[in-house]
Amino acid sequence: MTLFTEKDTAMTSPNTALEFVNHVGMLSESLNKEGAPGWLKAMRRQGLSRLKELPWPSVRDEEWKYTDISPLTASVYALSTSAQLREKEAFLDYGNGDDINIVFVNGFFSKDLSNMQAVPSGVVAMPLQDMEETSAASFQELFSKENLKGEDAFIALNEALVRHGIYIAMDENVILRQLIHIVHITSTTGEMILTAPRTFLRLGRSSEVTILESHVSFLDDNLYFADALTDIFLGENAVLHYCKAQKESLKAYHIGITRVRQDRNSVFDGFSLAAGGALTRHDLHVTVNGEGANARLNGFYSVSGSQHVDNHTCVDHCVPQGTSNQLYKGILQGSGRAVFNGKILVRPIAQKTNSYQLNKNLLLGKDCRVDTKPQLEIFADDVKCTHGATIGQLNEDEIFYLQTRCIPRKTAVKLLVRGFADDLLNTVHNPSVYQKLNKLLEPAFEALECTG
Amino acid sequence: MAKPAQTKPLNEKTVEENILSSRDYKYGFYTDIEMDRMPKGLNEEIICLISEKKKEPEWMRDGRLKAYRHWLTMEEPHWGNFQYGPLDYQAISYYSAPKNAREGRKSLDEVDPELLRAFEKLGIPLAEQKRLAGVAVDAVFDSVSVGTTHQSELAKFGVIFCSMSEAIQNHPELVREYMGSVVPYTDNFFAALNSAVFSDGSFCYIPKGVRCPLELSTYFRINAAESGQFERTLIIAEEGSYVSYLEGCTAPMRDENQLHAAVVELMAMDNAEIKYSTVQNWYAGDKDGRGGIYNFVTKRGKCAGRRSKISWTQVEAGSAITWKYPGCILQGDDSIGEFYSVALTNHRMQADTGTKMIHIGKRTKSTVISKGISTDESNNNYRGLIRILPSAEGARNFSQCDSMLVGNRCRANTFPCIEVKNNTAVLEHEASTSRINAEQIFYLMSRGLDSEGAVSLIVNGFCKEVFKELPMEFSVEAVRLLEMKLEGSVG
Repeated sequence: MTLFTEKDTAMTSPNTALEFVNHVGMLSESLNKEGAPGWLKAMRRQGLSRLKELPWPSVRDEEWKYTDISPLTASVYALSTSAQLREKEAFLDYGNGDDINIVFVNGFFSKDLSNMQAVPSGVVAMPLQDMEETSAASFQELFSKENLKGEDAFIALNEALVRHGIYIAMDENVILRQLIHIVHITSTTGEMILTAPRTFLRLGRSSEVTILESHVSFLDDNLYFADALTDIFLGENAVLHYCKAQKESLKAYHIGITRVRQDRNSVFDGFSLAAGGALTRHDLHVTVNGEGANARLNGFYSVSGSQHVDNHTCVDHCVPQGTSNQLYKGILQGSGRAVFNGKILVRPIAQKTNSYQLNKNLLLGKDCRVDTKPQLEIFADDVKCTHGATIGQLNEDEIFYLQTRCIPRKTAVKLLVRGFADDLLNTVHNPSVYQKLNKLLEPAFEALECTG
Repeated sequence: MAKPAQTKPLNEKTVEENILSSRDYKYGFYTDIEMDRMPKGLNEEIICLISEKKKEPEWMRDGRLKAYRHWLTMEEPHWGNFQYGPLDYQAISYYSAPKNAREGRKSLDEVDPELLRAFEKLGIPLAEQKRLAGVAVDAVFDSVSVGTTHQSELAKFGVIFCSMSEAIQNHPELVREYMGSVVPYTDNFFAALNSAVFSDGSFCYIPKGVRCPLELSTYFRINAAESGQFERTLIIAEEGSYVSYLEGCTAPMRDENQLHAAVVELMAMDNAEIKYSTVQNWYAGDKDGRGGIYNFVTKRGKCAGRRSKISWTQVEAGSAITWKYPGCILQGDDSIGEFYSVALTNHRMQADTGTKMIHIGKRTKSTVISKGISTDESNNNYRGLIRILPSAEGARNFSQCDSMLVGNRCRANTFPCIEVKNNTAVLEHEASTSRINAEQIFYLMSRGLDSEGAVSLIVNGFCKEVFKELPMEFSVEAVRLLEMKLEGSVG
């Protein structure tokens, strides 16, 4: 019994979790007193009732074994009241005027900071709170068709507290070269706020687009909790370059869930960056539901200090001839902690599936810790699946080589770590996205510890 | 040339599948012998009775009762990736032994000839003239050890090799010191059960600086119905010693499921090396999954000394369910742990096996090589844990687990866990799952091999890395065992 379960030293005491859920219930009810479309209110009510039914995760659950969320529930959160962005300069430096910007501040949609007028025809971008019952019905139908239920406490939590969000739909055969940048900024408010960013992306047949979703805060002493949920539906032959860049404040909690459904021959080219937050978790669930679909899941994480980052990926091959490729890399400094759990599931009929997964960790800090758990669950026989994991340090010989070429040790270390990261960052083809990712990662490279 | 496959109707199965469906289980016979057995059920009285029967000292009996009381507080675990019906612990007879197996006789030749015949049939002759050269055997039949060969020869080197019951009588100080030091009775549900009711097993003690001249081995045989086997093995290798130990097991074919819950503890001191090999061939049930042994075993070695080494090699070819994770606690600095495994499942067998490597000492190294072959409707899982504790400076691990799938109704899963708490550790893990290569089969057949030979050759090549770790005699046996399992109806 105790063979693989760690001693439960720090369990979420049921009491605080229960109090937290009750408090969320209160917030959700007060939210429903605000003006909002009826379907949104109904969604909140459903989310809340499911949240109350579902068990709250604890380290006793296999899925949460390495991530203790009790500090997250220990705080009492409030709904945000102000949509004012105080760090406007920092935002303008990060955002790019050439992109289509859709900006949320403290969970509120900001019309001033967004440039919705730049959205071309063939693309629908609509804030959720402005959606009428009839237009909402179309994607709700999609949900019931795909049989998507939120069997996860944090999905239910997001639905219970969803306030503002965005719905983006691409028409058939539309190819958009411009980047759509969805920014969720948490600005200083002095309050501990809980936001529930919600995004729906729907790509019609043979459409193509690049979308970047940023979760950022420009101040590092802001304590808040963001529970994000993104749903992506890829139509036949559609191509989506999707990037989630997360650099929350160093004291913040971020739980993000991304669900992807892929139709025939579609391509999901995903990238996930986790650089901020005290405790962050990103669940990426890709369902390969059409023959010949291709999923690419790349990710990079950087932790330092006492940060904790947890990446869970699951690729569910439901049909034959799907391919998926995963590469997650991370650098750990200080006493940072990283968790990677990657699951490849190949259903009985999903023959001719090719699925690859690799997780590489670079340990630079003295007390850092890595828990990695790649998983293969294969029910078909004509498949090629591999996974791998490596954990190691920088090669002393390589550092020495650079030093003999008159490069100071500190620069040499930086150069090698950059090389480790670039291998992955170079897979991001959109220059605007690449530039933004670099901007978010720069401080981590600057602060590289130089030991030995 | 390949013999025409059309000689027999192939139904919907592929040729490969047919090749891999095993022939009748060769060791499935039952020996009708007068038995001395206890009534079914488990309670403190039964435990005292077992203890009494074995004339155990008081501390041993108290230890059993303590384990039993702890077991009562535990719940049967169900986290393994397999299904089985409820186990009724009151429906098992916890002690059944051939009458007068050991009492009042001086040499092995006085053992009941029926028993000797049974072992001979299994390929383990115990009688003086026919013994295997170079291998000392302890033969365990149901709940007791019926004989140990080459004992006097080993004694010349100071090596103690005897049954656990004898060890408790003759070397109580050693047993008392080491039993439960690697696998305490609180470790898990089945270890607690074993600590309460274990009946026999093997005990080896290799004194300082001795390289054990013979291969030591134990042959386990379950014979009686409605019983279980709960043996306990303890191997202690003192400073600078070396021992290679082998274990083999079989059981008769029955429709009921029998529980085998053993505990194996290894202890290696400074510079000592223990090589532990298993060829497990318990009855696996018929093709519809009826019957077979539940093999729920706890095996663990402790590299207590510096530069000590423990190496596990296992060939898992039997049992309805195999559920075990032979592990190493690498406590001594520079100690080494190794795990080599081949698990072949066919019909409806289920295997959830792997290893656990706990790195505590500095510069500790571990290697894990696991090969799984899954055929028919079987379910083959690799589950492993590599844990690097903060004290393990410069630890190193390499893991590789490969699965081969034959047929489209089988399953193969891998669940590796890597936990690193020291930044100087270097770890590599790789795993792959793929189908047996049709082009390779075609190539071999074009060179004149029949499909059976081709599959056998490919599977053997796939497992070569593990087989080469087995001692010579066992390596041959393992290859033969796999071939037998792979033998099919073609040709």
